[in-house]
Amino acid sequence: MTTLRTPDPPVAPPAPAARGRRGRPAGRRRKSQPEAFAFLTPWLLGAVALTVGPMVVSLYLSFTDYDMFTSPKWVGFGNFTHMFTEDDRYLQSVTVTLIYVLVSVPLKLTVSLLVAMLLNTRRGANGFYRAAFYAPSLLGASVAAALVWRALFMGGGPVNEILAFFGWHTPSWVDDPQFSLASIVLLGVWQFGAPMVIFLAGLKQIPAELHEAAAIDGAGAFRRFRHITLPMLSPVIFFNLVMEAIHAFQAFTPAFVIGGGRGGPADADLFYTLYLFEVGFQDFRMGYASAMAWVLLVVIAIVTAIVFRTAKLWVFYDDAEDRK
Amino acid sequence: MGRTTERRTKRRGVVALAVVVPLLLTGVAACGSDSGGGGDVTINFVWWGSEGRANLTKKAVELFQQKNPKIKVQTSFSAYAAYWEKLATQTAGGKPPDVLNVDSRYLAEYGGRNVLADLNSGAGKAISLADVNPELAATGVYQGKRYAVPWAQNTPAMIYDPAAFTAAGADPAKGMTWDSYAEAAQKVSSTGGQTRGVTDFGILDTTLEIWLRQQGKQFYTPEGKLGFTGDDLHRYWELASKFRDTKGASPADVTASYNTSPEQSPLGKKLTSSEFAYDNLLPAYQKANGKPLNVAPYPSGANGDTGQYRRPSMFLAVSARSQQQEAAAKLVDFLVNAPEVGKIVGTDRGLAPNLKVRAQLAADAKGNDKTLYDYEAALEPKLGAAPPVPPKGAGAIQKLLQRTYEEVAFGRMSIDDAVNRFMTEAQKGLS
Repeated sequence: MTTLRTPDPPVAPPAPAARGRRGRPAGRRRKSQPEAFAFLTPWLLGAVALTVGPMVVSLYLSFTDYDMFTSPKWVGFGNFTHMFTEDDRYLQSVTVTLIYVLVSVPLKLTVSLLVAMLLNTRRGANGFYRAAFYAPSLLGASVAAALVWRALFMGGGPVNEILAFFGWHTPSWVDDPQFSLASIVLLGVWQFGAPMVIFLAGLKQIPAELHEAAAIDGAGAFRRFRHITLPMLSPVIFFNLVMEAIHAFQAFTPAFVIGGGRGGPADADLFYTLYLFEVGFQDFRMGYASAMAWVLLVVIAIVTAIVFRTAKLWVFYDDAEDRK
Repeated sequence: MGRTTERRTKRRGVVALAVVVPLLLTGVAACGSDSGGGGDVTINFVWWGSEGRANLTKKAVELFQQKNPKIKVQTSFSAYAAYWEKLATQTAGGKPPDVLNVDSRYLAEYGGRNVLADLNSGAGKAISLADVNPELAATGVYQGKRYAVPWAQNTPAMIYDPAAFTAAGADPAKGMTWDSYAEAAQKVSSTGGQTRGVTDFGILDTTLEIWLRQQGKQFYTPEGKLGFTGDDLHRYWELASKFRDTKGASPADVTASYNTSPEQSPLGKKLTSSEFAYDNLLPAYQKANGKPLNVAPYPSGANGDTGQYRRPSMFLAVSARSQQQEAAAKLVDFLVNAPEVGKIVGTDRGLAPNLKVRAQLAADAKGNDKTLYDYEAALEPKLGAAPPVPPKGAGAIQKLLQRTYEEVAFGRMSIDDAVNRFMTEAQKGLS
């Protein structure tokens, strides 16, 4: 087995998870290093002033009623109980976001893996294709991409016309509660470049000998995919799954732009972050918005923890033996 | 050897500290000082609207600076929704602009929270309202304090395509009833191909307000509660649904695409032939639609009342936290009363609030401006006083009305259920 060992895990990020507590290099105890802190000062100041500070304030605000203009009033857990017992729109936003996460993440991972496999061959133009397929992701969460998307899917837009040509008459996708979320999911899936590139790197790390040996033993393409590619790639799938799930929970721009800045038709695109934004910046309920933000943080942490826990069951590290 | 390197790194660390820390400090200090000297004052002035409007407003501000060389005005503008988000953030950060554009929907929100200065006292007294219609001037008063002065006057109105309605045998300019309007809208739809008679008004809070006024009711009571019952809303949505069911009004997905800018609205995109809006938006609608459009009064109820009123199109206010209240008040007074400003800005925001200025402008008006002056002049005797200032939360009620009616229009909810949801959520939001 050792001869087949890959030199390194394909991508750096999953490594810490894999290495765990036991794998930490037993480096010497470091003395305090003023110069390190000196160089870190700009970052430290930024982190404290722009990230840690606001987070602490927002944690405090989440227990208050704060309209941004007058001083906050302490309400204890009032915001949190209101959220789960009285606020129908909050529950709607949770539903929309969960649907988006559950549908868009697997779709995006599937598409990006398929494209990565297509591009993982030695053909001349592949460099070009890789760049071309990655390009949509550079646009990322940009407003421009979402605006174009809205134009594509609106009433009388190209998508409408093409579908009508094939006899399927649809309403304006972005303005119909039945289709609107689907158009946002499609936008999310279209931006599959980042996971694709990581998959591609992972695929390149799978030793060709494994495939050759299996092929000689008579395994077909599907069996090789199922029993070699998937297990060997599982750390990368794991990493992509975690990253994409977190991204999906935080999706904002596409819903904001495509939903016309208000949660779309009949609240069909009321993403969690969108509702949070509306509550905080349009309705002047910053305390409630802070509480929502903290609930989101906790939920993302829990989901990530669950994914990490289940990782033992399906993520395969071929050098796991060495680490014990 | 080891020790020397260690010492050297230590020295390097000290050098780094010596370099980095002052850099940061100067950065902080640079952020702190931004005021100019020399006795001049700088005030910030913000408004919402399109670029065209911004160009006109900037010209007026330039004129103000020429006349008041000691006052420097920094301006900025954004689209309506973004404007409020930005303003809320600036205000929360303790640095609201000195002079700001306010809408009646948000007057209570900002005035009631002491963000706006009371212009009946202090520096605000310099703002003259002598030539402003007293009923219009009173619309800026909330709980006894004058938080804002009207910057222009407009009236809720119907914007329509005369050619389409003439072809259907109707003349909205002469006035219609809701019944004859429903018929006309249906005819326009049947001959107009993709174009429907009217943009579904079930989502519009202004139209609901006018419709309520036609029956002697109001949207908000002076105490800030809803002035109508679930039954009233039920009848209003039945009326809107009648238009929609007979295909006189826009289909649900077109209605859902509505947002407040004329360029993005169904009438602006030629998907309907009429839309309820405000009379001063006629030029913007015309530009978007491309055909010659016209303004007409609202269809009337059973007693012939159109329910329209002298509406403060928008307000100017001064921040209570402004350090330059006198300069700010001076700018407000200039924008409201100076005849030159009236000439520069025209009817972009509505009619000039100062009646003397308005009379002068009306005499020289041409084109769309003339249409507006004639329209308002004909309507003037019938216009009622504006309703009380809407309570805190009015901005959210508008959105609530829109999304609950969308549930009806898409057939996802019965009118009964939608009315229940609206009333429950509205009462929660206003309490």
